[in-house]
Amino acid sequence: MTQPIIELAGITRILKGQEEPRTILDGVDLTVHPGQSVAIVGRSGSGKSTLLSILGLFDRPDQGTYVLDGQDISRLPERKAAKLRSSHFGFVFQRFFLLKHLTAAQNVAMALVNGQGWLPRRQRRARVLEALDQVGIAHLAKNRPTRMSGGEQQRVAIARALVRDPRILLADEPTGALDTETGTAVIEALLSATHRGCSLVLVTHDRDHAARMGRTMSLVDGVLTERVPV
Amino acid sequence: MRRLSGSYRSALIIGVQGIRARKLRTLLSMISLFLGVLAVVTVQAGASIAERALMSDLELRSGYDGTLIIDVMPHEKSPAIVTETVKGSDAVALIATQAIIGEPGVSPINPGAAPFDQGSWGTTDICDDSGNCVPGPPTGEAIEVALTAVTGDLMTYRPLRHVSGAWLDFSTVPSMSPRLVINEEAAKGFQNHQVPAEMRVNGAKANMTPQIVGVVNDGDVQPRAYVRHDELTNWLPAASMSDPNMGMPLQVMTTKGSAVEQVLTAKLRGAGIESYANLTESRKQMEDQLKLMRLVFLSMAGLVLLIGVAGILNVGLATVGERVEEFALRRAVGTPRLLLAGIVLAETMLTGLLTAAAAIGVGVAGLKVVSMVLGSREPLLQGVQFPWDAGVAGIIAGIVAGVLGGFIPALRAAGIPIATVMRA
Ligand SMILES: Nc1ncnc2c1ncn2[C@@H]1O[C@H](COP(=O)(O)OP(=O)(O)O)[C@@H](O)[C@H]1O
Ligand SMILES: [Mg+2]
Repeated sequence: MTQPIIELAGITRILKGQEEPRTILDGVDLTVHPGQSVAIVGRSGSGKSTLLSILGLFDRPDQGTYVLDGQDISRLPERKAAKLRSSHFGFVFQRFFLLKHLTAAQNVAMALVNGQGWLPRRQRRARVLEALDQVGIAHLAKNRPTRMSGGEQQRVAIARALVRDPRILLADEPTGALDTETGTAVIEALLSATHRGCSLVLVTHDRDHAARMGRTMSLVDGVLTERVPV
Repeated sequence: MRRLSGSYRSALIIGVQGIRARKLRTLLSMISLFLGVLAVVTVQAGASIAERALMSDLELRSGYDGTLIIDVMPHEKSPAIVTETVKGSDAVALIATQAIIGEPGVSPINPGAAPFDQGSWGTTDICDDSGNCVPGPPTGEAIEVALTAVTGDLMTYRPLRHVSGAWLDFSTVPSMSPRLVINEEAAKGFQNHQVPAEMRVNGAKANMTPQIVGVVNDGDVQPRAYVRHDELTNWLPAASMSDPNMGMPLQVMTTKGSAVEQVLTAKLRGAGIESYANLTESRKQMEDQLKLMRLVFLSMAGLVLLIGVAGILNVGLATVGERVEEFALRRAVGTPRLLLAGIVLAETMLTGLLTAAAAIGVGVAGLKVVSMVLGSREPLLQGVQFPWDAGVAGIIAGIVAGVLGGFIPALRAAGIPIATVMRA
């Protein structure tokens, strides 16, 4: 078997609020292999987004180890974390987080214009069009997000996540704001990336979407368990 | 190097996109800053123009900076020593005397080479029985001028301003009819009083017929004429020139540390003649005078600028507040914090630069208008150029204001937590 792309062991996240500290994640173990797709389900407030934040190096665990692609990155300076976010991860959120003053193409190019690994304009354009094409909206390259449907906007966001050819796609309820049909198409677009060796970690409330993933994990009160299909 | 240029280009693209997306806000920052930068530009331009005018006035009167003026006391040997030492060098000797130009035997309308508009000087007062006097018409058809005989081209040391005609030509054989270049005050006299051209110089063997070849502005209020020393000495016996009672003051213009200075002072000391050297340091003197004034005005302008900085800061903070999601998103896709801070700073700096450009443009245009409207009345403002240092001051003010106003927003932008903003 290949080397796992992600190995989380004993990840604990404790939030110190105004009241007493709350344990949001409690000793989470998770291993993801290249090309694998994992669904994470759980109640609202169970810590799914927090787990994804830690996976995507937005947030740091209080305890536990994080090995990415064979490298222990549990204690990584922010500068290197930013570099890894650019080179290894793509993100898709429930809200699309598109910049409305930019066109679809410029929104996608944003992931290339980030001060990491410069590409000349021509190559940038080629990559952006390729990414937009992968999600089936190359014809909307010059449109602004304000003139697009929700499904189209989410596709732009997926193209933005894919444009740097990431190793891992992290999607936090990407279909939460979409109708069933559009949502299904978005899941298809995400899954198609896994055919090229990219891993997918999907947080979802939708059973059908979870069922499309290779594995489903369940998060309950900060504890992650493998859900065995029945 | 590659990484750096990538960061730089990314910052440029993001910064320009940011400014274009918020044109109105950028405009607002610019307006708040504009007056401040304009104040700095105006103060600097005003000071520079005044300084330049003062400086050229000082140069006109006392020569370029670095000119050494040696005053030689009257002595029977001093003309000979001076002219001999100066001969063939860059140094110029000046001999001051008096000349009356006009009808022979007539007393000049301005005895003592007085300025002409000092009314009653050269006239006989007409008094009535009760003793009230009014100035009468000028008595003689002659004009008295201060006469400066020069052994070389005075222009090397003093930038006399050309008005009309020619300057003295030192390359020709001395003429028997001395060529004169007169100053504007003297020209005024010749214009107002038609006088026959004959020139009387104290101690001269005979009267000579001068030719006036040109008019210059020498900054002097006294009517004055410049003449080649050798053309005058054709008529002046050496004895009269060296007569201590005639008291013709002798002056030598040279540069500090020149051979002429050393040789001349040595020779004069040897002959027991006193001399005093004076170094022209106009700029230093003037700067001492103007320093305080400039400081006061610049600090006032600085205050206005500070208000502009507060404006930029305010708009900048509001903008960052509005762009929290954008910055979190940019961090999420891997943009380093430092670069984001740099972009915010670059945007305000660019705003500052644009403002500076606008303020400089307005300054240039304003100066042009002022010089067109008031130029005819105020020679100081005639065809005056926008001083480059005012432009530099404006650009520096713009950039500094941009950096000051952008610093705190930049820190804010860099500190935006991704996890908090980007959660579903
Ligand atoms: N920045 C924060 N401040 C306070 N509480 C937070 C913060 N982030 C997360 N939480 C709390 O942590 C818990 C888990 O949140 P989250 O990971 O967003 O859950 P989920 O995505 O599964 O709904 C929730 O109870 C939430 O209120
Ligand atoms: Mg969530």
